[in-house]
Amino acid sequence: MEFFDCNVYYGKPPVPTYRIAPTVADLLAEMDWNGIGEALVTSAQQRYDDPVTANSQILRDCAGEPRLHPTWVILPCQTGEFPGPDALATALRQAQVKALWAFPSRNKYLLDRNTFGPTLELLSDLQVPLFISLTDSSGPYSGWALMSAILADFPRLTLVAADQDCWGQDRFFRPLVEKYPRFYFDVYEFELAHGYKDYCDKYGPDRMLFASGFPGINMGAQMFNLLHADIREDWKEAIAGGNLRRLLAEVKL
Amino acid sequence: MTCAQAAKTSPLVNEFLRAGKAADCPVIDAHAHYGPYQGVYFPKPDGAGMLEVMDRAGVRLCISAPHAALVEPRRGNPVIVEAARAHPGRFLAYLSVNPNYPRELAEDVAGLDQRDSSIVGIKMHPGWHEYPLSGPNYAPAFEWAQANRFPILSHTWGHSPTCGPQEVRKVAERYPDVPFLMGHSCFGEFEEAIHLAATFPNVYLELTAAYRVSGLIERMVAIAGSTKVLFGSDLPWFDEHFGIGCIIMSHISDDDRRNILYRNAERVFGIEPAKDA
Repeated sequence: MEFFDCNVYYGKPPVPTYRIAPTVADLLAEMDWNGIGEALVTSAQQRYDDPVTANSQILRDCAGEPRLHPTWVILPCQTGEFPGPDALATALRQAQVKALWAFPSRNKYLLDRNTFGPTLELLSDLQVPLFISLTDSSGPYSGWALMSAILADFPRLTLVAADQDCWGQDRFFRPLVEKYPRFYFDVYEFELAHGYKDYCDKYGPDRMLFASGFPGINMGAQMFNLLHADIREDWKEAIAGGNLRRLLAEVKL
Repeated sequence: MTCAQAAKTSPLVNEFLRAGKAADCPVIDAHAHYGPYQGVYFPKPDGAGMLEVMDRAGVRLCISAPHAALVEPRRGNPVIVEAARAHPGRFLAYLSVNPNYPRELAEDVAGLDQRDSSIVGIKMHPGWHEYPLSGPNYAPAFEWAQANRFPILSHTWGHSPTCGPQEVRKVAERYPDVPFLMGHSCFGEFEEAIHLAATFPNVYLELTAAYRVSGLIERMVAIAGSTKVLFGSDLPWFDEHFGIGCIIMSHISDDDRRNILYRNAERVFGIEPAKDA
């Protein structure tokens, strides 16, 4: 099985877990230990420090390492810190960045039509996946309510709900799966007993993306859980990496 | 799959990665539940559904406290005793107690003198019952357990006024002969929990939910020792493969893995070792 991790970061967070990957080399070593082939990565600098500086730095850090695929963290274009819709497609194409993350509460903005209308319409056209953490919020909306609000306004957006917690979330995400064909979620702490089989038997595996959640989470946990889930092998392959590869191939840069 | 380097370092890891379980490593789940619950959708929370998960993950037996028993012990406790009878050797039982009904708690604990052989421990949930672990209403349970060297599993959580490390320290000092399992290892205050397990011979780290924290298992093994750490899963909340994966893929020895996955539970609960192990 070829694992392609969609949610992992390197660097030194301000409050580290016991095992982190301070450098790209450390991250690759942890991936090797756990049999993870490729990863869509962010950095601690992007998550906890200045995204503008970090968006450039991650390209340099991952240069020449084909197993690692850098992502960018978005900011409102109105302050001039991040490309507006006119320049964004070119910037993404030049950097070969095919996925983005948004941290609205951490970066203090509203992820809504007023602030991001043209940008999110562009991302919808380009089919660039936008990852949003379920631990984040935007104004009155947080977690799954935030996902629901964004999708209601931008139903064509390729939105990935990231970082779901371990306490069975099916009652939240199944309605979104049914309504929005470009809605995806990563499996981060998805560990419900019979969870993969019960969900996939009804909806298929296509909306699930493998995520180890490292360094917050032991990198081997979800790998092992998915590897031995009681679902078809081709479904496991899709979740482990096939779905993410397809999503990235669909990006129109 | 892309070959995990971990598999090259250990036949046990290699076997778990290949088959999802290992015949000579019969896992014991020291923290399980049973039955449906309000707060989450469980596809198959009954005995048959739990056994499916256990069989896939190579779990020999679960020690369980039904959700119903955490709400109303006298309604829920018989459920797991019945399950143990229906599936011999696969389920053992905790007697769940609720300190908000102190007369019933005292009577139920006194009844342990004539207990069913499937009952091997007492389960407390100070957070859910909003009552401190060291409070007087729990005392009959601790005193009976002290007199009989009977294991207690309690929900523990970091920064909780009812079941944080400070509360654990009080009962650990007061009842030194009670094998005391810190359920979830005081999640969020792990250093304090590890220190308690390293300090008190009768205090153990139980891994449910805590297993996920990257590097935590290595830290527990390094400071408290692998003989003080037990595997648990909260099944049917969580697939046991997730937690077992954390132990198998951690950077520890096979001896440590076996201690955590079954040897410690055999010793603490007096469970006969499996023939294959």
